[in-house]
Amino acid sequence: MKITQFQLDALREIANIGSGHAATALSTLLQRRIDMSVPEVWAVPFEQVSSIVGQLDTPQAVIYVKVEGEAPGKAVFFFPVESAEIVVQALFGTEEPMDIYMGEMAQSALKEVGNILVSSFIIALTQFSGIPLQPSVPALAVDMIGASLDGIFLEEGVLDDTVLFIDTQLTGIPKIEGQFIFLPDDGSLKKLLGAMGV
Amino acid sequence: MSVVITVGMADFKTAKMPDILLTAGLGSCIGICLHDPFLKVGGMAHIMLPTASGSLGGNPAKYADTALELLIKEITSMGANKSRLKAKMAGGAQMFSFPGKPPVLKIGDRNAEAVGQELKKHGIPLLASDVGGSFGRTIHFDVGSGELRIRTINHGEKVV
Repeated sequence: MKITQFQLDALREIANIGSGHAATALSTLLQRRIDMSVPEVWAVPFEQVSSIVGQLDTPQAVIYVKVEGEAPGKAVFFFPVESAEIVVQALFGTEEPMDIYMGEMAQSALKEVGNILVSSFIIALTQFSGIPLQPSVPALAVDMIGASLDGIFLEEGVLDDTVLFIDTQLTGIPKIEGQFIFLPDDGSLKKLLGAMGV
Repeated sequence: MSVVITVGMADFKTAKMPDILLTAGLGSCIGICLHDPFLKVGGMAHIMLPTASGSLGGNPAKYADTALELLIKEITSMGANKSRLKAKMAGGAQMFSFPGKPPVLKIGDRNAEAVGQELKKHGIPLLASDVGGSFGRTIHFDVGSGELRIRTINHGEKVV
């Protein structure tokens, strides 16, 4: 579908509210200040995703949640490994290094963080649009960011020439960076925009 | 001095000895490498999906079938002989799995299968294949020696 400037603005507004809720949830969870960038709405070929995420083989912790319901989509939250380690340490109240690559405790904590972030995003979206949506259980990969994202974007074996997604950066004080992507499925965008009357 | 040439997603490049072709962060995507050991030239494509059928007009380097054709054309135009070409591939992982929900179609497996079939169709032997698993790969292909180096974050490094 073709997106007008007006619709893009509406999407940015949805993202703003959703990401704001997610940032507040993260801030409460970690007991520290979290800043959020103004969300960007991208409509680009997936192969240009490296211009948004940087080096494709940088290790990052990626939490992937499927959004189910009447306007399905995918929600992805990712942290550079250094930030993911800080988040896990903050949750367990420890300064000891935690193994986020293999450690079961660290990994389930990361999934839970992703779950909370995505759920708060989805609740905001549901309240705003009136369309009921539910998050799936979260899946986690701590691996090359390009590999994780191609696994998510190409999962169904189809890929439009341009993909539309919403991207927000979260920055914690001190030293936490994260990025949130919401990728509506084909058709969901129309429903979401329609529900808002745009 | 050898130069490292980066192949992006849905992209392909060719090179001559002593240059190295690199593609980073392969998940379910596949890096196809072709090489003429006599002329010491080669090429690499970073494909994302098995077949271009039904998606006309898109970028041909995105699909196993059309990308391989392009790559063969490009390498033979450098003087390589199609009958001498050898292939290697890596990638095709399944990065995420959800408990209780087996994926209906694993796109990584389908990609690997499509590459294998297309190579067979063109009569190009597949000398090495490092596919599957649930982890990302970054690959370096030495077009002079035909050596393919596969690096992972947590599953070691190997040369095939």
